Amino acid sequence: MTDAAPVLAARGVSKSFFGNPVLRDVSIALLPGRVHALLGENGAGKSTLINILSGALPADGGSVEIDGRAAARITPPEARQAGIAVVQQELSLTASLSIAENIGLGDYPRRFGMIDYRALADRAKSVCALVGLDEALSTPVGTLPLGRRQMVEIAKALYRKPRALILDEPTSSLSATETAILTALLVRLRAEGVAILYISHRLNEVMALCQHVTVLKDGGVTADRPLAGTDADGLVRLMVGRDPGDLFPRWQRSPSASDVVSVNGFSAGLARDIDLDIRTGEVLGIGGLVGQGQEDLLLGIYGAIPAKATTASVNGAPALPSSPPKANALGLAYVPADRKREGLHLIHSIATNLLLPAFARLPALTLRHRSAERETVRELAARFAIKGDPARQAQALSGGNQQKVALAKWMPHDPLVLLLNDPTRGVDVETKREIYIMLRQFAAAGKAVVLLSSDTPELVHVCDRVAVMREGRLVAMLDHGELSEEAIVAAAVGAERRRQAA
Amino acid sequence: MSATTDTEGGRTIPLYWPVQANRNAGLGGLFVVVLLFAIAYGVLFPGLFTLSGFSKFTQSWFPLALVAMAQALLMLTGGISLAIGATVSLGAVIAATTMSGPLGVAGGSVVVALAGLGFGAATGLIVVKLRLPAIVVTLAGSFIVGGAALLILPRPGGAVPGWLSDLLAGNTPTAFVLLLAVALLWKLYLATPLGLGLYAAGDNPVGAYRSGVPVDAARIAAYAISGLLSTGAGLFVAAQTGSGDPVIGTAFTLNSIAAAVLGGIGFLGGQGTMRGAIAGSLLLSLMISVMFFLGFTPVAQYVAQGLIIIGAVALPQLRRLKR
Repeated sequence: MTDAAPVLAARGVSKSFFGNPVLRDVSIALLPGRVHALLGENGAGKSTLINILSGALPADGGSVEIDGRAAARITPPEARQAGIAVVQQELSLTASLSIAENIGLGDYPRRFGMIDYRALADRAKSVCALVGLDEALSTPVGTLPLGRRQMVEIAKALYRKPRALILDEPTSSLSATETAILTALLVRLRAEGVAILYISHRLNEVMALCQHVTVLKDGGVTADRPLAGTDADGLVRLMVGRDPGDLFPRWQRSPSASDVVSVNGFSAGLARDIDLDIRTGEVLGIGGLVGQGQEDLLLGIYGAIPAKATTASVNGAPALPSSPPKANALGLAYVPADRKREGLHLIHSIATNLLLPAFARLPALTLRHRSAERETVRELAARFAIKGDPARQAQALSGGNQQKVALAKWMPHDPLVLLLNDPTRGVDVETKREIYIMLRQFAAAGKAVVLLSSDTPELVHVCDRVAVMREGRLVAMLDHGELSEEAIVAAAVGAERRRQAA
Repeated sequence: MSATTDTEGGRTIPLYWPVQANRNAGLGGLFVVVLLFAIAYGVLFPGLFTLSGFSKFTQSWFPLALVAMAQALLMLTGGISLAIGATVSLGAVIAATTMSGPLGVAGGSVVVALAGLGFGAATGLIVVKLRLPAIVVTLAGSFIVGGAALLILPRPGGAVPGWLSDLLAGNTPTAFVLLLAVALLWKLYLATPLGLGLYAAGDNPVGAYRSGVPVDAARIAAYAISGLLSTGAGLFVAAQTGSGDPVIGTAFTLNSIAAAVLGGIGFLGGQGTMRGAIAGSLLLSLMISVMFFLGFTPVAQYVAQGLIIIGAVALPQLRRLKR
């Protein structure tokens, strides 16, 4: 039944952001009556590919085909007219409008130039029935819980009677019942001949629903084949599996590990019910898919967001710090992931950035000690191999050097616990290696390093232990002996135990 | 939009009126406060319940209601205007210089309307197409328009025909009827795809664009309508005073923001309702009148007004923090 021409296809598409290749020569074809899975790790290029298929982004090279007609780029209106509908991860809803007004948004039935509320109610009702939304159509979307909003978003896509439907992690905020309704719906749409592209990190869903799979890794296609005859382990192997090369320093166990931070029943933001010990003399990795509560775990321990714990001990103190200055006083330092917005003050000089935590500790209204400052800056720049004149603006530095500044500024205070949020994201290979060596040195010097990372290989090769989080909970703690990319990804997507799939 | 029900298959699916009813959510407290102030005003000044007393009160409220709508419209799109007062002045001087001349009242009204629409649309184009912050563009616009008003009429003068003043600002509730008409027109606009798109463009511009809403057009239209409402308020003020004054609108800029904020319009776009903004302007007018009758000095009035506005914004926030 799948001999038909593809409704939507990409041929040899490539795309770069700021010189960083995100997609390289990617081809994918969505056939009518087939559910096509798109898999890949964080940052593999899935979202970019969707944006190109739906016209939201132009491709640098290659072409997009609708019903076999090729175009260098399509615009969002063209894509809509061709019957391509996308359910994005970020919702496109308006909180103060009603369910029906959101579903019809951009494509209202009209009478005399006015919205025909009668026809709208009619059409919205029928798509709401499809996805099991039984709330009154006039309910403002802002009053719905997140899972129900996701269903409104799906109903909105169905309202346009799509021929190609792209769903980007549609089940991440759905309950089990809602997921079952969605699965049944997709089976029905498939039978009606809709081409469906389904992105999910839940492998059991993919195995149950999809017929064909495309796997992306580092912007390239590593598999494009029918799902029949593939098992979950095989898919995990397709998603990871690259050479660590000699990017990583040799791992050596550091001597003398003792607990410096321990929390029980810790909850902050998305993170819930976490028991965790952070030890001196080791690098503790925090892994998992993006947005499973890892960042909230670090921020909660650092006192930057409200957190609570049944018991907590932070460097001798019997409670979690209530603010970053208190955390600093307890010997904690945090290096944020978004160095441009949170880590550095880009328009100020490198020297100012390096001295900022020192300024925060000075009593107010004391005079600055210029020569001592110069000495500190010179020392830090030499120790971290920060290139460039310290008087220049921080934004003139490359990403890697910016990251080094964000890390170096804490060193004068000799923090005992370093909380690092994805320190190697967007950093060149050379600097990555320097950072890995530094992290091992910190551990060897008896500090505790917590490395939150979206990069699985670095967790495997740099860390002594790795905690894997899924849906806000700590689901696995892997010791160095059991660390492998497969083990981490399997725990992150919930395929680690046979009893999981049911 | 007229339908409340649908009869297909013998079943009825109400939508339009339930949606309207839901828009009152969160405004109950405001309506109660407005009612309390109205009662207090009625007790202090029983003349409110005569035809001329009611007419006079609604005449003092009407221009504030118009500028509150003009401001709320922009705040719903995520913008703001600091040029409202200057635009009111411009409307007033154009009315006072054209209506007694060869153009007459009809011609003068057309010029006033075109000036508002034109200035508003130009501001909107600059803000939307060049992606500049509305607060800066409208601040510059307030200097330009304020200057233009002074060029047209360097000192108070001009004239509005007496019959027009009697019609709009006499002892008949014409202003109230006009306000009802404006509110009805707004309801009609909000029932068009472009009007409703205003909410989507303010709350979630990326999502609205992806859904096919003409986001830019909706925002530029909002600026044009806002300009029209402002010069319209200027025309009314000129009719009230019988002449034009090139700085008469100045106080309306901040009062329009105050009324919109009292009415529950959020600064982030997409939050709030026009009925809230109108109620907010009514509350502000009532407050000013009540304090006048209680013998507050003008200075004390300002202080009290400021305290009430801060309280109105802080209350919901305090309630949220408590949760």
